[in-house]
Amino acid sequence: MKRPWTTGLGLIGVLACTVGVTVAFGSTAIEWGDVYRVLGHHLLGLGGSVNPVVDRIVWQLRLPRALLACLVGGGLSIIGVAMQTLVRNPLAEPYILGISSGASAGASFFYLGFLPPLISKTLSMPIAAFLGGLASIAIVYLVARDGPRVSVARLLLAGVAMSALMASLTSFVTFSSPEPDKLRAVLFWLLGSLSGTRWEQLPIPALATGLGLGTMVLLARPLDAMLMGEEPAQSLGMPVEALKRGLIVLAALVTGTLVAVSGAIGFVGLIVPHAVRLLVGVPHRRLVPLSFLAGAIFLCWADLAARTILPAQELPVGILTALCGVPFFLVLLRRRNYHFG
Amino acid sequence: MIHRTVLEFSLLIGLVLATGCGASDADRSDATQTDDLDRTVRIERPVERVVSLAPNLTELAYAAGGGSKLVAVTTADDYPPAVDTLNRISALPVDFEAITAKNPDLVLATDQVNPPGDTKTFDSLDLPVYFFSFSSLSDVFEGIRTMGTLLGTEEVAADSARTLERQIASLRARTESIPPAERPRVLVLIGDETLYSFGQGSYIHTLVEVAGGRSITDSLDASAPTLSEEFVLTEKPDVIVGAWGADYDPKRLLELHPTWDVVPALQNDRVYSLPASLLLRPGPRLVEGARRLAKRLHPDRFRTLSADTSLASRSVPEAPSSIAERAPTP
Repeated sequence: MKRPWTTGLGLIGVLACTVGVTVAFGSTAIEWGDVYRVLGHHLLGLGGSVNPVVDRIVWQLRLPRALLACLVGGGLSIIGVAMQTLVRNPLAEPYILGISSGASAGASFFYLGFLPPLISKTLSMPIAAFLGGLASIAIVYLVARDGPRVSVARLLLAGVAMSALMASLTSFVTFSSPEPDKLRAVLFWLLGSLSGTRWEQLPIPALATGLGLGTMVLLARPLDAMLMGEEPAQSLGMPVEALKRGLIVLAALVTGTLVAVSGAIGFVGLIVPHAVRLLVGVPHRRLVPLSFLAGAIFLCWADLAARTILPAQELPVGILTALCGVPFFLVLLRRRNYHFG
Repeated sequence: MIHRTVLEFSLLIGLVLATGCGASDADRSDATQTDDLDRTVRIERPVERVVSLAPNLTELAYAAGGGSKLVAVTTADDYPPAVDTLNRISALPVDFEAITAKNPDLVLATDQVNPPGDTKTFDSLDLPVYFFSFSSLSDVFEGIRTMGTLLGTEEVAADSARTLERQIASLRARTESIPPAERPRVLVLIGDETLYSFGQGSYIHTLVEVAGGRSITDSLDASAPTLSEEFVLTEKPDVIVGAWGADYDPKRLLELHPTWDVVPALQNDRVYSLPASLLLRPGPRLVEGARRLAKRLHPDRFRTLSADTSLASRSVPEAPSSIAERAPTP
């Protein structure tokens, strides 16, 4: 069945259309023609002058935001795939396993001035988020591990517990912060939001997500083997332990970087890989790149809804992804005999 | 000579193209201001299109005589009535798109409402944003003068600020003679259920002092403390003033905090509520807030001024509302 190339090309087309549509909508009504004149002007060098106001809205506000939505949606989706393969269960996801809230805690420690800026400010925040996420997932994984197997019940419970712990840490630093003015900003960012994205914010998430995508595509075969179980993988000569550690670090790195820029947006990594598996099956060489595309599409639309669903008011996009994601999660949880494919 | 003209002309064209706004380029000169966050803000004059990101900034702009330059205000704005005709913009989170669409010359923000991190996005959009910060009453009056400098209405702003300062001074002159023993110990509350209040360094303590009272939270470390019921029980305020609106029923406070039946303010029916915008909004109407506070704290001394209008006509040249709605000088 599954025609991966057709599906892949189809998804690329859908993604291009999605970005094209989302940059045409916003709180300000702009003619479609004007929107594409701006894009044509910047991308293809077409046309002479464009309206500078429209130019700023489309090129400086909407496009970087749509591209960040692509990076975050795609990045979280492939990390969802990585986590699901790591624990061999489709319920795993960076948000549920506590990576996102750990990253939030690390980032807010830094944001509120409890951690010193190590290198530059732009790099310190992702690093703090990465370390927070890594600590969280390492603890969850160690608790859930039962010999060579990972207990799913323990994994989910440990994830919930770590999420709660990390959220309390975040609340603690938020409340004890000497600067009450920052509270609102922190709150909005904890719920996950792409508001106010600038071009300068894109390179670091792009680098991290690109690294994650590249690594996972290169590791497609070992990842496939992991799904068979650790012993068969080991007997095939795979360095299973190193692979698992690598996946955990990679998940913390990508999630941390994305959380540092957009806050904790949950459940993208749960919904998207599941839907993509229905389309193209389990093999990672298809699943990973297509999950990236589908995640990008999903978050673009979710962000468009967050921007436009209420008049003159913007919602944190994390609320919407949770509203879609939690029922989905519960249905998956109810289906006992779920397995990949 | 010809060279210079050509050069100037092409500069002008460049400006027009770069800003997309050809009006009044001839007398355009740039000004650099340092805002309350110590940022350097470059403003192209004349400033004609202004977006306000907080209700108190809107009131300050009107008081400074630059109200007619506002092209958009926040969804929370309700004063002066003239704002009803202006466009509304969401300030939390800031709707950058709607602001850009207004093509403003200047965006007014305050660190009490707007996250200072937003400055980066404004910078990348090439929109000049000026951040205000108010901690004392004099900051508010100074804010009017600054607003006048920014909007090019220095004289009206200076007049306004002077009038308000005189009003405060005349109120202070009347309450100064009150001996400490007759100054009630006042607790100002923002919330009635969760006891948000004002701590160290807030303008509210000056307001209470000018009105002839003593604020009991002026030495608390946190700038926005959440008080415990025990604090109120042990401090025994003589008067409790809340920012709960004019229609508030003081009985509700005892329902929410039944243990407070021993607090003097509740025993003597001295729980008052004022409109939130007169106490919580660091703007020109704080003066009106101070006056109403004085009437509640010392009803006997201010009996002759029971109606607001008589107060306005007697002791001060004009009521703040008329300042607020005054048109800018041409």
